Amino acid sequence: MFAKKLLADVNFTSLLQCLVFLLLMSIVFALNSPVFVTPVNIVNILTAGSVIGLMAVGATFVIASGSIDLSTAATMGLSSVVSAWMVQNMQISGPVPLLVATAVGAACGLLTGLLINITKAPSFIITLGMMSIYRAVAFILTNGIPIYGLDEKITSIAEAQFVGLSFPSLLMLAGMVVGYLILSKTKFGAHTLLLGDSQFACEAMGVQVLKLRLAIFTLAGCFSGLAGYIFMTRTSSGDPTAGMNYELIAITAVVLGGANLFGGRATIPGTLAGILCLVVLQNGLNLMAISTFYQTLFVGLVLVLASFLRRLGPER
Amino acid sequence: MSELALQSVVKMFGATTVLHGITTQFRPGTVTAIVGDNGAGKSTLCKTIAGVYHPDRGDITLGELKLTHLGPHETRLAGIEMIYQDLALAKQHDVVSNLFLGREKTRFFGWLDQPKMVEESRAVLETMGINVPILKLPVGVLSGGQQQAVAIARALLFAPKVLIMDEPTAALAAREIEHTLELIKKLRERGLIVILISHRLNDVFAVSDRIIAMRSGQIVADKLIEETSMQDVVAQIMIA
Ligand SMILES: Nc1ncnc2c1ncn2[C@@H]1O[C@H](COP(=O)(O)OP(=O)(O)O)[C@@H](O)[C@H]1O
Ligand SMILES: [Mg+2]
Repeated sequence: MFAKKLLADVNFTSLLQCLVFLLLMSIVFALNSPVFVTPVNIVNILTAGSVIGLMAVGATFVIASGSIDLSTAATMGLSSVVSAWMVQNMQISGPVPLLVATAVGAACGLLTGLLINITKAPSFIITLGMMSIYRAVAFILTNGIPIYGLDEKITSIAEAQFVGLSFPSLLMLAGMVVGYLILSKTKFGAHTLLLGDSQFACEAMGVQVLKLRLAIFTLAGCFSGLAGYIFMTRTSSGDPTAGMNYELIAITAVVLGGANLFGGRATIPGTLAGILCLVVLQNGLNLMAISTFYQTLFVGLVLVLASFLRRLGPER
Repeated sequence: MSELALQSVVKMFGATTVLHGITTQFRPGTVTAIVGDNGAGKSTLCKTIAGVYHPDRGDITLGELKLTHLGPHETRLAGIEMIYQDLALAKQHDVVSNLFLGREKTRFFGWLDQPKMVEESRAVLETMGINVPILKLPVGVLSGGQQQAVAIARALLFAPKVLIMDEPTAALAAREIEHTLELIKKLRERGLIVILISHRLNDVFAVSDRIIAMRSGQIVADKLIEETSMQDVVAQIMIA
């Protein structure tokens, strides 16, 4: 009875599909590479997923609300550039660049949300425009030249380990936990999902839709900004071209995790599972020395296969 | 209890005027039916009262309170509930989320009090005689009648003073219609202002105290039920 109920829950079955796929993939990789199931490699996998993982938390909120944000990677790049500039020119390390990167992301998200509210245009179009604009700002700030060779303190942040996990992966996991609590347990999270389900129902029932959308994009911006900080520490650089196409990978992960691309349904555990699928796939194929051409092919196949499997699941 | 009053309410969409200066009052403890052809402006009138639209001219008041410029959040706080023609439900969400949409119970910092909402949902559905196991299902998979019931339950959850129903019986089976009409009578006894948009004249004559006929954004007839007949009303609606 209980099992039947769970299987009728779309969120649960999507998560289950993702996890089963993850398990099957892991078995194949473990059989083909002795390195795959080692503590070092598992830490590597989580660290490799940290930047996209943080962006995907934000993307989960945006997609849940019925919008799409194509500017997350550009925001991430801009935040990496600004925080790298601070580190290099102001000799500041420690938590300040982290806060600044997050604030830059928040400002980008706020501006994007504001423009969507004012123009009433589809978020796809506005964020496509903002993607170019944020990239351009990053290029203009750096004159197109990446900021390289940051203080060693910065690289040591990326390599720092606590309880066996790297700082970037811990930050990503913390972001997942915070995102989960907000999306699933708070009124703001509930409204985010309800907005994506029916904007009219929200408006008619007195939800302040414009304020809500602004908050959602600002929050997503914070996560992209934080991702930019991680990117900066991991590469020891501020690069205006950082993470080209990452916005699409983040969206792929959210959809793999079972979200409805048109809003109303999305979960953070699903997104985490989606990210892990993508990162494990890449990691395993790397270990098996399979060329990146085929890696791209596999990512595409996974997404298509997942969409097909979802059709076999319960009614949504 | 206070009266709901409209004074020369004009509503335009771009250059088209949809409401041409509507003036009328609604008294507590009465059911007023609004009838009229498609496109007469019935839904627009009610959405303007509910704060979804704002009048371009004129005033709307509930007792001493001016509603003219209030949005749906404030009009709901003032005790005005509307059941929309399309029900305004979030179809992927469960019954509880829909019942408390916009009025979620929280404990601290916006932390949802889910147990309390489930408990109160169960209570209100039980009093309305609705099957309780549907609580966790997405509203979209429920039958038309059940969805209607959820929308009605949501409107009654916070003891409103005014209840506006836009075609509440359109999607219902005969037995469910009976149920809804009984409910409307009970609400009148409780002293609510009930406004009922319906094209089913049988329903209208079964529960209303008064009938307003609209045509092209104007009130063309306003009669007490005992002063009129179905033929009369049909004639008022049809005259071009
Ligand atoms: N949001 C809107 N924008 C533009 N025109 C509208 C809008 N809503 C309604 N109308 C127009 O206003 C008129 C009245 O519509 P409505 O109030 O829905 O009529 P009824 O409910 O009596 O069938 C119609 O001509 C309709 O096309
Ligand atoms: Mg109508």
